[in-house]
Amino acid sequence: MKKNDKDEIRILAFLCNWCSYAGADLAGVSRFQYPPNVLDVRVMCTGTISPYFVIKAFQEGMDGVLIAGCHIGDCHYLKGNYMTAKRFGVLREALKFLGLEEGRLRLEWVSAAEGEKYADVIRSFTEEVKALGPSPLRKKTTAKAEVGA
Amino acid sequence: MADKELSYRLVPSTCVYCGTGCGVLLEVMGDRLTGTLPQKDHPVSKGTLCIKGWSVHEFVHSDRRLTAPMVRTGGVLVETDWETALAAVADGLAKAKGAHGPDSVGFFASARCTNEDNYLLQKFARAVVGTNNVDHCARL
Amino acid sequence: MSDLKTIVREKLTGGADAFLCLKNEEGTTLPALITDADSPELELVEVGDSRYPLGKILINLLREYPDKRFAVLVRGCDERALIELSKLEQVDLDRLVMVGMACSAEEAAACGCPRPYPGDVALGEKVEAAPGREVIEEVESLAGADRMEWWKKQFSRCIKCYGCRNICPMCFCKDCALEDPHLVEPGVIPPEFPSFHIIRALDMTGRCIDCGLCEEACPADIPLRSLYRKMQDIMEDKLEYRAGESVEEKSPLSFLGTEHDIEKLEQEERHGR
Repeated sequence: MKKNDKDEIRILAFLCNWCSYAGADLAGVSRFQYPPNVLDVRVMCTGTISPYFVIKAFQEGMDGVLIAGCHIGDCHYLKGNYMTAKRFGVLREALKFLGLEEGRLRLEWVSAAEGEKYADVIRSFTEEVKALGPSPLRKKTTAKAEVGA
Repeated sequence: MADKELSYRLVPSTCVYCGTGCGVLLEVMGDRLTGTLPQKDHPVSKGTLCIKGWSVHEFVHSDRRLTAPMVRTGGVLVETDWETALAAVADGLAKAKGAHGPDSVGFFASARCTNEDNYLLQKFARAVVGTNNVDHCARL
Repeated sequence: MSDLKTIVREKLTGGADAFLCLKNEEGTTLPALITDADSPELELVEVGDSRYPLGKILINLLREYPDKRFAVLVRGCDERALIELSKLEQVDLDRLVMVGMACSAEEAAACGCPRPYPGDVALGEKVEAAPGREVIEEVESLAGADRMEWWKKQFSRCIKCYGCRNICPMCFCKDCALEDPHLVEPGVIPPEFPSFHIIRALDMTGRCIDCGLCEEACPADIPLRSLYRKMQDIMEDKLEYRAGESVEEKSPLSFLGTEHDIEKLEQEERHGR
């Protein structure tokens, strides 16, 4: 993450321990290149991600939020990702109704073996969010805007 | 479990906290105030309340209410009896008035007291101590 | 309304320990719990013009008096609330007798709820009303940034009275997210956009039964009901569920789920790309 650059796009990625985090790890080990705008947060299952976390992320100045979990049917806890799918379909529409572009919230299924897919997802999501520009919910002051400081 | 007798009613009243005087319905279950609802057809508040109005019932049974007079001794509040407490108040007020004049004393009324209590307080301030320094928490 | 008084008397002598309805006391309409068919309070029973969250009052009564049976006067919205609350395990429908009352044509038109009558109607005639969609349509006619400005302006009047939450029959959480200092900063008025209101909207998804008491309780005339009505639309569109309709079918957001639930979502994901 570039420091001290207010215009740099910041993305928060929630990755599930068993699939997408491992996939991200594989992407790293395999040296797949992707832009450095992503901050990742490892959770045990995307089903534990409350929509409140996403709201909080946007409130704290994130321009995009990615949730990457196991493929449907492959959830380590069996049905956690069903909850994720239901919740985030609804959340995206709710944010859209309030005026936040739906492109800022993305839900993907990435398995532990899909290192290249992970890199692709990050690349395309970063492009999409860059095109949308900084989030309108970013706070005006820069005090909290610095990440990785 | 013994059969509890059904006792539930809503008592129309007026919020105590400020001069607006919004209409509230105080929820009484048994012998306790358990909640507040707005009085929907009240001509002033028309069914809306501010956060103070919504919680107007809370202070009555609050466990933070004083249950005995207390006097600050050695920097710490110590429980005592009414005689001691009132003597301390009279003493302190007299000393302040004597040393620095009546306007060195200030009085603070409370929205959680009755109008009669607040009347007495300001009467005491003006007639006995001799100051107009009387204020009320609703002004904050 | 002498019909209502007769019904109250009937229910009280026919097995119900108490009847929760409305009365007129010195010119004010308020909820009343009549416990005795001979009580003088019964003479004051009257529907009046004001609506109260009787479902919310019932949650407390049922919990406080676990061995009593209650009868309750219900409009369409009250019935939906009780049905949904029973699925959320706050109300035991077996201990309740619902006496249905249909809203009048004027009431239905003013309110704009999708179904201004309960299943069984003992008082009044069922009338239909078109749900008010003007606000939703107005918002949807605006583009992204304008939309956000529109909502920001509405929410800028919020004084954080918590009236919307306090009066909502569907809100009963002991630890409310709206009082969590990490989500809604204490002491900030108006609350930071969009935290307070989107949290409420998300919690209302699959729960809101469109009674409109929130908007009536808002001192700032914020179009809350339309926001939550849109959440219901989203719920119906994405997850084929509307709160308050089925006594058995629970909201898909209240349990982990089955494959069938997410087939539609998956399809949309694929076609949306």
